[in-house]
Amino acid sequence: MKAVVQRLLRQVVLVPVVALASYFLMTALPLTTETDAKRQVSGELAASYRRDLGIGEPLGFLRPWEKLLRGERLGTSAQGITGDELLTKLSGSIGVGLMALPLALLWALGFALLRTRWRKGRWAAMGDVVPAVAFGTPVFIPALLLAPAVVERGHLLPELCAALVTSLWPGIFLGTLVGDSLEAELSRDYVRTALGKGLSRATVLRRHVLPNVWPAMLDAVGPVATSLLAGSFAAERVLGLPYFGQLYVLAVLNKQVAVVVVATTAFATLLVVVSLAVEVLRYAVDPRSREATT
Amino acid sequence: MSRVPTRARVGLALLVGLGLLSLVAGRLFPEALAQGCPLGLDPTRPDRSVCELAFGGLWVSLAVGLAAGALSTLLGLTVAAVARLSGGAVEQALLRAVDAVFALPDVLVVMVLQLAGQSLADAGQGGGLGPFGLMVVSLALVGWAGPARMFRNRLATLEAQEYVAASRALGGGGLHLLRVHLWPALRPFALAVFLSRLPAAILTESTVSFFGIARMEPMSLGRYLGTSYAALIYEGGGRVVLPAWALLVLLVLGASLASQALSEAPRRAA
Repeated sequence: MKAVVQRLLRQVVLVPVVALASYFLMTALPLTTETDAKRQVSGELAASYRRDLGIGEPLGFLRPWEKLLRGERLGTSAQGITGDELLTKLSGSIGVGLMALPLALLWALGFALLRTRWRKGRWAAMGDVVPAVAFGTPVFIPALLLAPAVVERGHLLPELCAALVTSLWPGIFLGTLVGDSLEAELSRDYVRTALGKGLSRATVLRRHVLPNVWPAMLDAVGPVATSLLAGSFAAERVLGLPYFGQLYVLAVLNKQVAVVVVATTAFATLLVVVSLAVEVLRYAVDPRSREATT
Repeated sequence: MSRVPTRARVGLALLVGLGLLSLVAGRLFPEALAQGCPLGLDPTRPDRSVCELAFGGLWVSLAVGLAAGALSTLLGLTVAAVARLSGGAVEQALLRAVDAVFALPDVLVVMVLQLAGQSLADAGQGGGLGPFGLMVVSLALVGWAGPARMFRNRLATLEAQEYVAASRALGGGGLHLLRVHLWPALRPFALAVFLSRLPAAILTESTVSFFGIARMEPMSLGRYLGTSYAALIYEGGGRVVLPAWALLVLLVLGASLASQALSEAPRRAA
């Protein structure tokens, strides 16, 4: 149990580390006034940033969070954001991510099966080409190609398209890992024994092989979740979805540094929650994980 | 050269070919592309052809990828060497730092670093880094964690070999082992790690430039698509998007093939 707690603590400690690192990075930035150079913030804005970030105050790094908890607007003018708005935008992005997850699993399963079949034939090179095409395709490219047809349609079609384009690379990545793991397990003696004893191929797969493939799949869930969330930034921008990704990009473009601090920490928290969920799931489905911790 | 796997040769040939093509077409003879481009003119820049912008962008993207990939590989190698030479608490602390950097997506961190770097540059404290240098440094600062983890694991494996134990028993110090025994065995792996960072750096740069956050001039592939994406959406951008996409895919395919083949080759030989 100690090892599990240690792993969880390592994940959780990431949140305050990111919060403090992003805060002190942002407060260290020289926010000069308009007269110093082009593209600078105005004196009024610079003062607002300092108030927002509690610069020069004891425990100033807690200021953005205090403002959020009090329901005050973080950032400047209309480009700022309240805690409720942040949660709404975050839940929108999570919704797109949750739509993308089953799609990614579908791509993964399909590609793993195809790859196993291709490996034996003249299509073997496709096992390398498809992941390269998926990896070499930044999310904004399929989003740009789909955008003219869907961007003004509504009825959740832009959200669905965002989920579709976001799920491509994570799905193929997951499929490559699962395919490799599946192939390694299928060549083991216990599979031959089970087939030799008369079990059907489907039963062997379900009862014997898949429980050994789950750990490899769970190992990949962290990077996949990161890719889904990061990919949603580009998809949301191209498809005009006013969620967390759009908020983050606009906050960086408009130098809303307090919003950047809070949004970065919120993003890190989300990733930690995913990691914790994966650890719990691993503990539940992988007996080796339970044995290692007793 | 005969020991280099065929897949690696194909990948390297693809990379070198694209590099030469982008140099010749995008930099040396851009007027040839301007006159003979079958895809016509760019909808948002009527004085430039699509081929001119795509190959010009490829040259910049490739240069950013090569520089950032090399710098992050070097940083990763240094961190891994320090971790293995120090051992104990220092190694554990470095590994935790690697985990922390690894947990956040590259695009998000690069955006924050670009914001920080641009603010410093605007205040005259940029240390002489232009947009190109700032992008390379940002990409290297987020990209070192993966190579550091890979090099550290490979060094730990190599250190368990008998010839290293023999050298250590004969009084060889950590630096001597690293320089004389470990580095020659690590060299092909270092090339594979560098090639694996190349597409990651190019794609991250493309995405950040697409958002309009990086001020890359001349334009990279990402910035080229990002500066005209509104027009692409409403005027049908397939003609403009497809060549840039194809170039990115070929670049990634070349780097992936070479990297995979080179990282598998030493394992097979062992």
